[in-house]
Amino acid sequence: MSEELIVEVGRNKYIIKTDRKYTETDEWALKRDDGKIIVGITDYAQKKLRDIVGVELPDPGIKVKKGESLGTIESVKATSDYYAPVSGKITEVNERLLEEPELLNTDPYGDGWIVVIDPEKPEEYDELLAPGEYAEKIRREKH
Amino acid sequence: MPRIPLLDFHVEKLGAETGFFGDWEVPMRYTSSLKEHLAVRNSVGVFDVSHMGRVILEGSDVLDLIQLLYTKNMEKVVKGWMSGPTLALNQYARVKDDEMLYKVNDEEWLLVTNALVREKMIDYINGIIASKGLKVKLDDITFKTSMIAVQGPRAVELFEEIGARWMRDLKTLEFRMNTEIAGIKVFLVSRSGWTGEDGFEVWGDHGAIEKLIEKLVEKGAIPAGIIARDTLRMEMGFVLGGHEYGEDPIRYPCALSLRYGMGAIDWKKKGYIGEEMLRSCRRNGVRWIRVGVKMSKKSARVIPRENTLIYVEDQPIGWVTSGAFSPVLKRAIAQAYIDTRYALFGEPVELEIRGKRHKGKIVDFPLIKTKSSL
Repeated sequence: MSEELIVEVGRNKYIIKTDRKYTETDEWALKRDDGKIIVGITDYAQKKLRDIVGVELPDPGIKVKKGESLGTIESVKATSDYYAPVSGKITEVNERLLEEPELLNTDPYGDGWIVVIDPEKPEEYDELLAPGEYAEKIRREKH
Repeated sequence: MPRIPLLDFHVEKLGAETGFFGDWEVPMRYTSSLKEHLAVRNSVGVFDVSHMGRVILEGSDVLDLIQLLYTKNMEKVVKGWMSGPTLALNQYARVKDDEMLYKVNDEEWLLVTNALVREKMIDYINGIIASKGLKVKLDDITFKTSMIAVQGPRAVELFEEIGARWMRDLKTLEFRMNTEIAGIKVFLVSRSGWTGEDGFEVWGDHGAIEKLIEKLVEKGAIPAGIIARDTLRMEMGFVLGGHEYGEDPIRYPCALSLRYGMGAIDWKKKGYIGEEMLRSCRRNGVRWIRVGVKMSKKSARVIPRENTLIYVEDQPIGWVTSGAFSPVLKRAIAQAYIDTRYALFGEPVELEIRGKRHKGKIVDFPLIKTKSSL
């Protein structure tokens, strides 16, 4: 089990894992031992979306730029984009999500991972938000 | 900003997450809207629908007033019964609101309006009363009472369990006033439903309704929010103002295209507002028809949102008015207006969503079969 930070805002609690980095747009990025980066959405993001019923995945092999939309997440209420935290090539996508999109709600930091990116510029990872900075971002937002 | 009177109770005791429906603060969901939806389909759910307008119309000219306002023949409604849903039209035969009336006696009726047009409808009705010199008094009791809807195949059983066995004998569209449920005094109990399931509505003082909700939840009723309410209506193909209908004759087709059903329009009836234009639509034939769309298996989880365009080959044939994910079908579904020349149930169509074509099928309403029939 990785360590976690818990951000409390009103009646809500949001978990932030301390082993990874974050984006302003509520994705997480975790560097694997092979240097590739696993991407998913944060606990805060899934709690905002709630009741996720569908995920559109990018095609493996395509090249993406940092900040580009990777696809969409359908929740009961709305359709939202999710974005690439770093530039690089998509090497894996989590096809389980096509049948079980609710994994994004139940296990956003684990089985709910979305894609793996082989980064083009490894320094982009280092520039992402640290867990404490992401916690600040959540607190700053309107609730 | 208005909020339902028992909102704090829903948040503190039942764990509701609140949000806005128009300007009304209401429970959006309690746990998961998908679970709440399925509880209504398979068991029983309880909704606080106090944001809906509740109005008393009283006076010797009340029948003249409502005959002028609605597409249904109100002369046929029997004391102690609801009219069934009906439409208030404007002069373009576009829909102002879909409403339900309750006949208390010859000179007193109750009216339920949709939440977001309550004030507009009250002003409109008062305007008609004044301009025609009708003897009718309108009393808005929306904030004086709370109103819940208890919906699902287990609704009758649930009320039996709390000691209100008499509710089983209430027929669909029948209502009873100033009665008791399990020792709790309530203003009105009616039997109808807008989820496609069997169920009841109860109006009462805020305290009485709070007690009743607690009792129902204790016996297993699942509190359900407005998101579940929306997905439930979508599976049945029930309309929502601002999506499937509205007053603007450019944005919305004639009320006939809505295929509202449920006997809301009585062609024998004459003299109501919008009748002339509605008959003209009927004579000329309608250009647009409201249909259901079921997405293909491959696009089962791509929800067509409002204003998505629908194509046959390279021809745009219509647009989506509401989209949702059906928890029962496990498919994305939609309501849409399409050109009547293409209205072939079962035929494949394509929907353009974020630049990609997704396959769907034109289907009739309702999109699912329910377990409890009304």
